[in-house]
Amino acid sequence: MNGTVPFWSIVVLLLCLSIPSDVAGADDPAVPRTRPLAGVLAELQPKIVKIYGVGGFRGMEAYQSGLLISEQGHVLSAWSYVLDTDYPTVVLHDGRKFDAELLGAHPRLEIAVLKIDATGLPHFDLARAVDARSGTRVLALSNLFGVATGNEPVSVQHGVVSAKTLLAARRGTFDTPYDGPVYVLDAMTNNPGAAGGALVTRDGRLVGILGKELRNSLNHTWLNYAVPIEQVRPTVEQILAGKYVAETEKKKDRKPARSLTLADLGIVMVPEVLPRTPPYVDLVRPDSPAGRAGLKPDDLVILVRDRLIQSCRMLREEFQYIERDATVHMSVMRNGQLMEFTLEVPKP
Amino acid sequence: MNLSASWVPWPRKRGHGQWSRNMLTASVSMAPQQEPSRARKEAVPQACPSYRSLTVTARFPRKWSAVLILLAIAATAAAGDDLPLREQKAFQAAVQRVAPSVVRIETVGRRERLGKLVLGTGPTTGLVVSPEGLIVSSALNFLRRPDSILVQLPDGTRKPARLLATDHSRMLVLLKIEVLAPLAVPEMAPRERMRVGQWAIAVGRTFEGNRPNMSVGIISAGWRIRGRAIQTDAAASPNNYGGPLLDIHGRVLGVLTPLSPKPGEKVGGLQWYDSGIGFAIPVDDILRALPRLSRGEDLYPGLMGIGFLRSDPNTAEPIVAACHPGSPAYKKLRPGDRITAVDRSPVDRVAEVNDAVGRYYAGDKVTLTVQRDGKRIERRLTLVAKLPPYARPFLGILPRRDATTPSGAVTVRYVYPDSGAAGAGIRADDVLLSLVDKPLAGADDLRRQVALLEPGDEVKLDIQRDGTTRSVSARLGPVPEALPVEALPPARAEGPSKKVGRAARGKVMITVPEIENKAWAYLPKDYSMTIPCGVVVWLDAPGAVDDAGILKLWKPACDRGELILLVVKPANPTAWLPGEEAVVARVLDELISQYPIDANRIVVHGHQGGGTLGYLVAFRHRDLIRAVATVDAPLPGPAPSAEPVHPLAFYLVTVEKSPAAARIARSIKALRKANHPVQEQSIGESPRYLLPDEITRLAQWIDTLDRI
Repeated sequence: MNGTVPFWSIVVLLLCLSIPSDVAGADDPAVPRTRPLAGVLAELQPKIVKIYGVGGFRGMEAYQSGLLISEQGHVLSAWSYVLDTDYPTVVLHDGRKFDAELLGAHPRLEIAVLKIDATGLPHFDLARAVDARSGTRVLALSNLFGVATGNEPVSVQHGVVSAKTLLAARRGTFDTPYDGPVYVLDAMTNNPGAAGGALVTRDGRLVGILGKELRNSLNHTWLNYAVPIEQVRPTVEQILAGKYVAETEKKKDRKPARSLTLADLGIVMVPEVLPRTPPYVDLVRPDSPAGRAGLKPDDLVILVRDRLIQSCRMLREEFQYIERDATVHMSVMRNGQLMEFTLEVPKP
Repeated sequence: MNLSASWVPWPRKRGHGQWSRNMLTASVSMAPQQEPSRARKEAVPQACPSYRSLTVTARFPRKWSAVLILLAIAATAAAGDDLPLREQKAFQAAVQRVAPSVVRIETVGRRERLGKLVLGTGPTTGLVVSPEGLIVSSALNFLRRPDSILVQLPDGTRKPARLLATDHSRMLVLLKIEVLAPLAVPEMAPRERMRVGQWAIAVGRTFEGNRPNMSVGIISAGWRIRGRAIQTDAAASPNNYGGPLLDIHGRVLGVLTPLSPKPGEKVGGLQWYDSGIGFAIPVDDILRALPRLSRGEDLYPGLMGIGFLRSDPNTAEPIVAACHPGSPAYKKLRPGDRITAVDRSPVDRVAEVNDAVGRYYAGDKVTLTVQRDGKRIERRLTLVAKLPPYARPFLGILPRRDATTPSGAVTVRYVYPDSGAAGAGIRADDVLLSLVDKPLAGADDLRRQVALLEPGDEVKLDIQRDGTTRSVSARLGPVPEALPVEALPPARAEGPSKKVGRAARGKVMITVPEIENKAWAYLPKDYSMTIPCGVVVWLDAPGAVDDAGILKLWKPACDRGELILLVVKPANPTAWLPGEEAVVARVLDELISQYPIDANRIVVHGHQGGGTLGYLVAFRHRDLIRAVATVDAPLPGPAPSAEPVHPLAFYLVTVEKSPAAARIARSIKALRKANHPVQEQSIGESPRYLLPDEITRLAQWIDTLDRI
């Protein structure tokens, strides 16, 4: 039946419909409508497991966390000494205990995949994991400090992603072979037992897997971080498909067979009288790559390939990792000015 | 569906009913009553539709429109509830807003340790504060005096930087880079509108990547570290020291830096990183200091030079005990003045005075309002960075410890040869009546008065000898280290004539309810409740337990010299813990509350580890301890400064072959440099406990501690 809709109601309708559109984030992975937290957690808790294994002495805890990634009980966790046993134990959120079998591990990514004998388990779908960026509100679910036992669900922490960055631009900063992207977190996840836990958005979408206890040797602080799922998914899928082949130990920093030397470039540094002699150039051979590029005596080498050089010894070490025929970008300080040079040893 | 616009006046006479009336907001204006135009099949858009004639007619049922409106309103309601998402966008927008002004700083330098603190070499963060290239950062990464400083701007270019100046009060540095184009300066948040509990975002730029890192928290407190810092529970760490603390709008509240609440400790807050306690220097203070820093002027906390009687500053009233000679307060304030306001803001406690003055730099002026003899006086002081080291003047006498004559005169027990008193002709048994024409009120009063003068001052004394009064002039000298060689006359004319009260004798246990450490005291043989005794607090090296031996060793000295021996044991028999110096002070307080004690002769005596603890007890309880005597123990830290109100004297027994011998030698040098009198004694090659005659010598030294 027909009826007259008054104009004012159309105005109100249009106003109402227009409001949500500026809230819906176009570039943010979080679903425009954030669900109540209790509901999100109720959905997530059954997907996180508590893992028990080897340890329990000298500060090395015998527990950590894991995520269910398939209905039949595949568990993704961190590769650590805890799993260094024939049958690590996996305990679900409702207390059910299973012996787990190690299907495969990737030492460089520091992840492992376990299998428990179960069916119908709620789980994460790795393919539907999302990216986050700094400021994204996140939840971290893990059994940190082993507080949860038996049929207690794991602990939840909240915070934001602090930054997405590459671990260790500088060699040896972090004691881990992993050198890919990580989410640095604004939440205290750097604690025993948290490794292998889940990092999700406020709305419950998987983002990453919580990392191990790592210390930043540059500023002596502990790092709260998680590895993006995107980094581990291909390997996990290979392990699940049974096609995983442990890669040959690819050292991220392997020294080239023939490395560049300062002599090749025509640079002589000041004698190393101190343990940390500042890297001043002493002599430059006129007819050499350095001479032709314009380096001069008393130049202070600051950066080589974008790495900060603190001493003569560090400079020599850095050169050991450069191929002989590579192009080298170097920055020096001369009279308070920063100058950049590109040096290359000519091919014979 | 045909639509035509029609403006319908409100309220309708008929039709929609109650629910529509309730839903409409007040923003709809009233149009004059008009006859509703008829529903028409064709839309008729008017050329200039006046509000009077717009009518929307729709073909679909009335109830669908109701549903549609309900849905729309539900959608709005739901959108309004999405607070987490809105807040997330606000955090990200705030950081994005300030990102062009947040830079990454790398330093190349030699020093990696500052004392026991290992300094990081990682990158740190800085904040642009002027378009010409002035950058503020935390002083932490610059304590190691880097040779080169590199600033990386948000666009990736690197610039060398110069360190212009350091603010030692707020632990910030000012750097300068040369720029071709003006840099972006962030908006600063007004501090008076800051509220505890509001969002606070800590921003740093220490990781690889083109976005700054962030940590979200709230403002926990507004005025910390003596009014110098904002406190936040956002994670503050080397990952963002030097970077800005923002409000939710992206305006800068302050610059993050590790601070320690302990005065004098430079980088104490570093161990609190990521702890839930972070500090930021308010941007107002930074901008105020900027002109001086950009001129290259290092800034230091401002000192006044006022000594208060040091009980707990939180409860002690701000009554001046003494002014450090040569300080801004010297000669402007007098002992006894009560400070009632600092810069016209009322103060009631020493802690409030410290807070009010703590935020000033050396060179700043502060106005103090004091109450003196019932009158209100104002004084303006210019604060200084360092106080001239205090040198205590020495008259040259030992006073008698009898109950003084009712007039307060001081009877001389002994005159140090070669002292000012000796030079003035003062002799033992003379009675000192007044100093500089002011009648004395006892030996303590004379001591306090002399302490406020300077070595080299000539003072007039009125003395009484054999019934006659005369005036003499004495020149004050420095406090001697050497012990008098001859035996000293007795401190008391007569012994206790009769036992007053039922005083305990011999060994007594001292128990303090909340303390588990064991403690016992030995009260000397002729002990009486009328004679205040000195106290020797014995702190043995942990592990050694020989109560009987210690008692036997000290018994003669105690009996002769009116000394109580107080033995305090560590709670853990294998080690003294640093916190136990408070325990020792507490036990001593308990002893003082039970027995009359001569405050001038309280000595802490420690052996090796116990000696180290003894130093801590003395330095943290200057109002309690007068002297420290140690065997084979070096100073645990820098020497404390000498001050007029609370004197300290030292007796260091050294052992040649001790592993600590070199450090002890340095300690002696440091103590002397700080103007403390140090008596040295070597007891041979290997560490051991003192022998009886060495104890006698030590006891004699203790006997002279009440010298003036």
